[in-house]
Amino acid sequence: MLSEGLYAQNEVLMKRADSLFASGKFFEASIAYERVYFEADDPVWRITANLKKARALKQLGEYEKAYRDLRRSMTFSGADTLRMELLYEMAFCAYMDGNPDEAFGLLQQFRHRYGQGSDQRVYLLEGLVLADLRQWDALSDHLEGWVLNMSGDQQMADEQLSHYTEILVRKDDQRQLDPEKARLWSTFIPGSGQLYAGETGWGVLNAFSQLASLGAFTAMALNGYYVAGVFAGLGPFQSFYFGGIRQAGLLAEENEKSRRDKTLAAVREFLFNLEEELNAE
Amino acid sequence: MTKIVPVVLLVFYMVPVYAGCSIAGGKSLKPYDGVVSTDGFGPSGGCKDSWSREVSFIRHLISREDYRESLFLLERLEAETTRQLDSLNYLTGWVHYQKKSLELSAGYLLKVGNDSPVYQKSRFFAAYNFAHIGDAGKGREVLKRTDAGQDGLYHALQRLQLAGTALLERNLEQYRSYATDFSGNHHVTAAQEKQMEHHYNRLMDHRASSPFVAGVLSAAVPGLGKIYAGKPAEGVAGFLYVTALGLTAFDFYRGSGPDSVLFILSASAAGAFYVGNIVGSATAARRVNQEFNHEMDQRVLFDMHIPLRNAF
Repeated sequence: MLSEGLYAQNEVLMKRADSLFASGKFFEASIAYERVYFEADDPVWRITANLKKARALKQLGEYEKAYRDLRRSMTFSGADTLRMELLYEMAFCAYMDGNPDEAFGLLQQFRHRYGQGSDQRVYLLEGLVLADLRQWDALSDHLEGWVLNMSGDQQMADEQLSHYTEILVRKDDQRQLDPEKARLWSTFIPGSGQLYAGETGWGVLNAFSQLASLGAFTAMALNGYYVAGVFAGLGPFQSFYFGGIRQAGLLAEENEKSRRDKTLAAVREFLFNLEEELNAE
Repeated sequence: MTKIVPVVLLVFYMVPVYAGCSIAGGKSLKPYDGVVSTDGFGPSGGCKDSWSREVSFIRHLISREDYRESLFLLERLEAETTRQLDSLNYLTGWVHYQKKSLELSAGYLLKVGNDSPVYQKSRFFAAYNFAHIGDAGKGREVLKRTDAGQDGLYHALQRLQLAGTALLERNLEQYRSYATDFSGNHHVTAAQEKQMEHHYNRLMDHRASSPFVAGVLSAAVPGLGKIYAGKPAEGVAGFLYVTALGLTAFDFYRGSGPDSVLFILSASAAGAFYVGNIVGSATAARRVNQEFNHEMDQRVLFDMHIPLRNAF
């Protein structure tokens, strides 16, 4: 009788929370789900409330909080379906919170316990995590497994892999920019580090500034203004010289990051398209 | 007889369940008012149990640092007794304190009545909040009007807090009057009493840099004012800049005469740097004083805060 009463209470609380979620009141729903978690003694009610709360928090974009809350249910040892959902949601929230390493670890646990499975969400998430970690070879294997498991079509798998390789070649196999190399170039040839980083305008401007300041020094010294030449000519020259070296390194860093971001964006787009294509099949 | 006992016990449990309250202790068996009330939050009835359960849920949220959610529920909670109102004000004040909304926090904490078990805590934290937002005077007034007894821990805490506010106001004479009560008898306050003495000595020994003197020194020798203000690297750099520009101007003057454009330009630049260095030295002296005061305030506030967290 006592447990029936508690069950009824949990059910009412959960329904109330569900209706808040359904009406788009995600913040209120997250509190209501937390209340179920707080009130319930039964682990199944608690993990269910926790998972639903995480969904409400995801709608609010609060992935870190959702991840933190989900961790409370890590010791749950009941139904596999709930544990699978828990691991997936934790991995998803960790990924969305900018922590692909954590997400990768959770997905490894998922795979270790439940095998490949046929859940598209998990394949997509794993693909995105591998892309963020720039594990291009592992992503290639993952793609093949994904397409074969979902469609059983080897030709389609080959086509997708070829598409994927094409993206990497186009975006990622371009010359990678090394900031150290950029700084080294500018140390010996003014403006060349900027040119190496792909910034011709900055390279020309820096080289011209250094030449102009050296020219000013020479002109002043030739006219007998030795002191002025040192301060007004060599002073700016050393600023342009050392500043140019520093700038070359920074430009190389920035452009390298931008290039990597573009590659990642292209791979992500490819993964989303693949998921859509496999869903349509 | 043995069959009747369980039936009686069952009735004993179930009557309050359907009346909306549990006397079984812990969790109610009835669908909880806190969620099925009009807006879905906060107990609607005057049931003492539903109130205390709502409060324990809010405490649970606070312990999880879910402050936004806690405030959301607290705003919807309606107190029906003075005790409930005190709890409501205390919890709201505490959440604001955790959120670093110290002025709001002080406002709520001051509403807690002196019959409440959290009265002392509320008063001390309200005073600390005022001190932290730069209103040490208000903090002092709150502390003075707080009944902390004639001896014991709360008394020692009150004297320490008052001494701290005196240091924040740089009223060293007043500090001494409070510091005479430092006994070192309470482990919660003993270490901070020593620290307060240390801060007092530093404030006594400190001689503030004069912006005027710094400016005059830099007028005499560029950069010297900054060295006096405690910024030797800035002073040397200033000296080198002004000297370099001066020598450049002199070079153009020597070669082209006073009417040449190059001399006028370089002399103007040297003059601007010279004047800028004087102004910069005065500013540096003011900045150094501000930095010292800020550092001292932070140290005093820290040593006011530690005993509060240990005591409550």
